[in-house]
Amino acid sequence: MDFVISQLAGFGGAMASLVVDPLTYVYLITSVFLGITFGALPGLTATLAVTILTGFFGNKIPLDYSLIALLGAYVGAIYGGSYPSILLNIPGTAASAATAMDGYPLAKAGRGGEALGMTTTASFIGTIIGTFALLIFVWVLLLISKNIASPEKALLALFGILLSGTLMSEDLVIKGWIAGIIGLAMAMVGMDPLLSEPRYTFGWSYMLSGFQVVPVLMGAFAIPQIIEGMRHIEAGKVLSLQGRIVPNFATVRRYLPTIGRSGVIGTGVGALPGVGEDVAGWVSYGVGKTVSKEGDQFGKGSLEGLLSSETANNACIGGALIPLLVLGIPGSPPAAALMGAFKINNVIPGPTIDPAIILRVVAILVLASLTMFIMGLFTAKIFIKILRIPQTVFLPVVMVLTTIGSFSVGGGINDLYLMLGVGFVAYFMNLMRYPIAPLVIGVILGSLFDETLRRSLFLSDGDLSVFVSRPGAAILLALNIALILSQLPITKRGLAKLKRKRA
Amino acid sequence: MGALFPSGDKTLDQPEETAILRARDFWTSLVLIVLSLFFLWETTSIPLFGENRAGVSGGDWYNSAALVPFGLFGGLFLLAIGLLVISIRAGGAARAMSSVGLGWDGSEALRFGTIGMTIAAYVIGLVPRVDFIICSGLLITALIYGYRGGHAQRMILTAVVVGVAGLYAFVANLPQSDWKLHDDDWITLILWIALTAFIFVRHPRDRMSRVIPVIALVAPAILVCAMAFGFRQNVPNRGGLFFKTIEYHYYVSLKPLWSQK
Repeated sequence: MDFVISQLAGFGGAMASLVVDPLTYVYLITSVFLGITFGALPGLTATLAVTILTGFFGNKIPLDYSLIALLGAYVGAIYGGSYPSILLNIPGTAASAATAMDGYPLAKAGRGGEALGMTTTASFIGTIIGTFALLIFVWVLLLISKNIASPEKALLALFGILLSGTLMSEDLVIKGWIAGIIGLAMAMVGMDPLLSEPRYTFGWSYMLSGFQVVPVLMGAFAIPQIIEGMRHIEAGKVLSLQGRIVPNFATVRRYLPTIGRSGVIGTGVGALPGVGEDVAGWVSYGVGKTVSKEGDQFGKGSLEGLLSSETANNACIGGALIPLLVLGIPGSPPAAALMGAFKINNVIPGPTIDPAIILRVVAILVLASLTMFIMGLFTAKIFIKILRIPQTVFLPVVMVLTTIGSFSVGGGINDLYLMLGVGFVAYFMNLMRYPIAPLVIGVILGSLFDETLRRSLFLSDGDLSVFVSRPGAAILLALNIALILSQLPITKRGLAKLKRKRA
Repeated sequence: MGALFPSGDKTLDQPEETAILRARDFWTSLVLIVLSLFFLWETTSIPLFGENRAGVSGGDWYNSAALVPFGLFGGLFLLAIGLLVISIRAGGAARAMSSVGLGWDGSEALRFGTIGMTIAAYVIGLVPRVDFIICSGLLITALIYGYRGGHAQRMILTAVVVGVAGLYAFVANLPQSDWKLHDDDWITLILWIALTAFIFVRHPRDRMSRVIPVIALVAPAILVCAMAFGFRQNVPNRGGLFFKTIEYHYYVSLKPLWSQK
């Protein structure tokens, strides 16, 4: 109990220092507004919002303000995706795909205002649940993580990439793993971290420092989005908003169990390395459909269905930050972009992170969710107007934003060439249904994986038993092997046989 | 092995789409096999079993800089073989040379080709050499006009305009020492004005004709000024035609107004 109280006291201190600083509000309001706008515009994603703002705010302002800008945009964008889902039947972000299932039928039935109000409230509560989990669990994990050494770090990084590849693949899981390996391979370029041996530089001095994270992020997330979005789409009719947006307290209270359950699911899914808000939304929606009394109404305009996905995708934010801050492994694609911002500020997330940063992140998330809540309830009409802007108008501006953001982080033209090259490759990978998130996570975790794997072997004089002699490493190795085996057809056939026998 | 590594819970929408994907997988697996073999060969140039570098031992195999790359490219090679087997068993190889296997229809190829050319000309040719406001203005004008409405002729026209500007800048001012010259700025500016005028003449009553120049001028100007003067960061081509003037007036005419003590 003392532990929780000390945590809350630390959080209170961080909150107070933010609240009394007028600049906090400037960054907070701007970033949440931009985030909701990015989320609301179909074709722009939460990951893109955080990536582009990393280019702008990543290393140009003090870290505290940079975190406000990036986390504000993250929270805003995940919530903003609900607008087109409800009013246009087009998910603004992948995280809001499940929202459209019930949001649009509700709006068609003249309950758009109610749907938007409840979504706003659920997103707010969801973010707070995730944030609270971050505040508590991050410290528990930080205590455990003191025992995490190189073997565990290497295996954890591998597990994050494999898990992300497995869960983010739309087509074959093997494609997710290939994407992850390509990302890891990209991280091998440049001077190796232990012996300073140049690798794959092809005599080009720019390559000696390896691929910069921000141009890779911009290329991987922005360029494919721009190429894919620059097509003529007949603008869908935005349904008019009927009914009041500010929700009825009794209705909120009625759906509180659903919101609570979905918040916990979202946080849990977010805490899995590399798994994003879209998976959280769908898992929570699926669970809601199974356990709810009105499960048969899901997909036909059920408020409970809507809240299941919307609470979970926002709760996922806090969850996704747990592995990022504790282990240095991003819990979702936007968290990967956030890690890029940490890296360019020379902050290394993981067991050695300054605890004050964690408390500040928690305080910022609470303020950002509050700002999102107020904006969602009282300025929704502005965002509905933004929905009408065609993709072909805003995407060219995004291209310019991406270019200047990517250039300014490294300050070199070569970064732009890197962004372009990664962008074209990522576009074709998208076309062939390779998930991009494992690639980016691979790029970010590649040097950690390389360094810790070799350091483990170095300390054990090449004895491979170092990966099984430590309990943590043994568990992680078993998890990695189990994950790979679970996807092999021979294992699947065996399990199916076993199931049939039992039945 | 046909169902090797199927995805967990998500399924593709159409069997036809799956057929296209498997045919494409055939090609990509071949590309991945070649790439992984190339990089495995390239990795052999990194010492694996220790080597003397300026009299210092390079370490043992377990500490070698080649260890992880060997593992990664070896893994990539095996996964690519797995993907090849999946695609062949699903009929991908049989369809690989057909139009299904290539998977792109003419209009999609044109769309990607023109966007690719426009973006490449902008990033490779224009951004390093031409004033950022001018080249971004041309890009925004070209992309909005070219891809609104899905007209093939507009896509080709705008891609050619940006392509010509980019090619001129690239060829005329290739070395970095020539990037400060302004001839490519003028050419790009003329092409931008000409394209804007063309849009006005062709679509005088279209609201977008009036909106495009505003977005094309205001958005890059705000961005570059915010980055240069707000965040005090480096911006592309500081000596560009417009930016040079803006920067001069910012420091000489404007900044003294609030920085004098």
